[in-house]
Amino acid sequence: MSDFNVRSDSVDVEQIMRQIRARIREKRGADYTEAELQQLATVKLERFLDPRGLRSDLVDQFRRHRTVSPEPPKYEFEDTTLYDTHRGALRTIRRLLHPILKLFLNPNPLIHALHVQKQVNDEFHKRFRAREEMDPLFFEVVHNLVVEITRLGIEVQNLKMRVESMSSRLDFDERRARSLETVVEYRRPARPSGQPSAQTPQGPQGPSGPPAPSGGRPSAPPAVSGAPASPGPQGQPAFGEPPGSPGGQGDRHRRRRRRRRRPGRTLADRTGPGSEAGQAAPDDAGGGESSTFNGRDDDGGGQDDGGSNGSMGSEGSGAADQ
Amino acid sequence: MKLAVVVQRYGADISGGAELHARYIAERLARHGHIEVLTTCARDYITWKNDLPAGEDKVNGLTVRRFPVRRPRETDDFGRRSALVFTKPHSVADELTWLDSEGPASPELISHIRRVREDFDFFVFFSYRYYHAWHGIRAVADKAVLVPTAERDDAIGVSIFAPVFRGVRAVMYNSFEERALIQGVSGRTGPGVVVGVGSEIPDRTQPWRFRKQFNIKRPFAIYIGRIDENKGCAELFAFFERYTVMYPHGLDLVLVGSKVLEIPKHPRIRHVGYLSDEDKFDALAAADLLIMPSRFESLSMVALEAWALGKPVLANGRCDVLRGQTVRSNGGLYYENFEEFAEALYALEGAGPLGAMLGRNGRDFFRRHYAWPVIERKYLEMFDRLKREPAVTPLEPVPGFFARRRKSARPARDVVADVATGPVLR
Repeated sequence: MSDFNVRSDSVDVEQIMRQIRARIREKRGADYTEAELQQLATVKLERFLDPRGLRSDLVDQFRRHRTVSPEPPKYEFEDTTLYDTHRGALRTIRRLLHPILKLFLNPNPLIHALHVQKQVNDEFHKRFRAREEMDPLFFEVVHNLVVEITRLGIEVQNLKMRVESMSSRLDFDERRARSLETVVEYRRPARPSGQPSAQTPQGPQGPSGPPAPSGGRPSAPPAVSGAPASPGPQGQPAFGEPPGSPGGQGDRHRRRRRRRRRPGRTLADRTGPGSEAGQAAPDDAGGGESSTFNGRDDDGGGQDDGGSNGSMGSEGSGAADQ
Repeated sequence: MKLAVVVQRYGADISGGAELHARYIAERLARHGHIEVLTTCARDYITWKNDLPAGEDKVNGLTVRRFPVRRPRETDDFGRRSALVFTKPHSVADELTWLDSEGPASPELISHIRRVREDFDFFVFFSYRYYHAWHGIRAVADKAVLVPTAERDDAIGVSIFAPVFRGVRAVMYNSFEERALIQGVSGRTGPGVVVGVGSEIPDRTQPWRFRKQFNIKRPFAIYIGRIDENKGCAELFAFFERYTVMYPHGLDLVLVGSKVLEIPKHPRIRHVGYLSDEDKFDALAAADLLIMPSRFESLSMVALEAWALGKPVLANGRCDVLRGQTVRSNGGLYYENFEEFAEALYALEGAGPLGAMLGRNGRDFFRRHYAWPVIERKYLEMFDRLKREPAVTPLEPVPGFFARRRKSARPARDVVADVATGPVLR
């Protein structure tokens, strides 16, 4: 399903409306006006859905009012028909004069044509009568077809509505999923594994989910609007910190506090009996501590994070210098 | 500067569009001069019955003088006369009788206006269509400023109003569409400015308070106003019910306002009744968008309030004013049929950023054009201009005895139909 293409703050309502209308046209398949659609729907409903429109006794009525076409006048046409008469003497005279008539014209083709015509008439009447006998049967078939097609039409309409409804749901779910994906991406600021998030993750809430603080709508995903996702407070790199470095100011403070509390890392511990600089915790936080001892700025910590514990020895001596 | 605001009804608890508009303007202009309100004793806009006592009163610190209405409106008589002047050729006398029948006929109010005409610099009349405005403007035409609150209905085509539109000193329009309409029916060319009205927007709203109070948990679209067929609510219900079938997980509909039309029983339609201003703004803040289904609006104050709170508006596109404002502000979408309604509503609730962007544009639009300092400045500049410039167009006199009775006036509906339609988009 096509989506609305809104990419910047310069929203143009007319353009959005054009997109909406294009989408409606795409769905409809033809650009009918609302009135035309209503008219079509009304006609269909009137003709098909109204049970009064279909008469159950239609076939009977048809049979009752059926007009049987009258039989055509029967006449025989043989080669003697031309000379037929009820007067015997006249018939004899005609037959005698027949050779003389044939001197002037040939009546045989005429006689033959009329004879054939008579046969054609008979055949046509026979077929016509047979057709008339079949008509009620055809009508019954057509009637049944109409009923079945109506039923199918309604069923198709219902299916269309169901498909449309499912399509809408799918579209909604797609959008929701896209929105969720964007939010997940937006909240991705890298965090060392194992550290608990300081902020409770709050995904967007769908319409059926618990209510959102402002109207219950999922917050607008920045990626959809085309604007880059603005980093939250945790995602902002501190001044001087290389971009992409894990954690921020808060992480560093937490690490520093942990290291301060760690046994054997305070000056008193170091100077006390049994203290052993080389036995510091094997994590990679040594650099941070070294800067503490040296009074150096934390900025060095970023590099020191990768330093080995071996460097602490020299720093321990540095502390002794102080 | 001394101003008289003349309006058909006035009171802190009278919430009609033009009346509220008049009260807001009067209270705001009171900061810049002496304001007195001249009105009738009526509270009910259908009967104009004298519900309030005549005489002087104080409303929010302003002096209000009320005058009795001569007789309440007879609705049958008014209906018959309306049918005559709207649909058949008729005379000016018929129109004047129609105006009397419409009311609120208060000759005492008009006499008072004549009596105190020298006491005020200007008289600001609200609602061109009523008795008080037509007769009042004829009494003090050279000091009359009109806030017409005109809609595209049959009344504006009645011929007696055209000379009034042409004869007032200035017209304070609510929208560009209203200006085009009035210029179309009257040919007015004098001073005028599109002003509109601001609203008392609270600094803070508490959407959660509204949700908790009415136990509303799902996202919703809101309609605020009288729930009436004339306001397009019947169509809204029909469209929304079909929308709920198409989008089972879509928005709910919350209705705020008094009920005139039966509301369908539907699990996703909720009526919360009439709300105080505070609750109304909380409700608006809690909503995803405002729906304005009315076809006849001269200016939708509730749409402006929605924009002021950064909420997009879904408006009836067949109303020129709403469509024009929506397009000019880029603060919402509009619809002309069900498909557009469903798609637009879905776009506003489903596309996420779209609603927020439109709401932001609406807020900017409100600040640019409808913030109170802007409104006040436009009024004050107009009064200054009128003081500097002399009145050039005298009001045309009413036709004489015989001319008044000649059936020469066209049906008002035909006159309106001849005026170009459509929103003023840019």
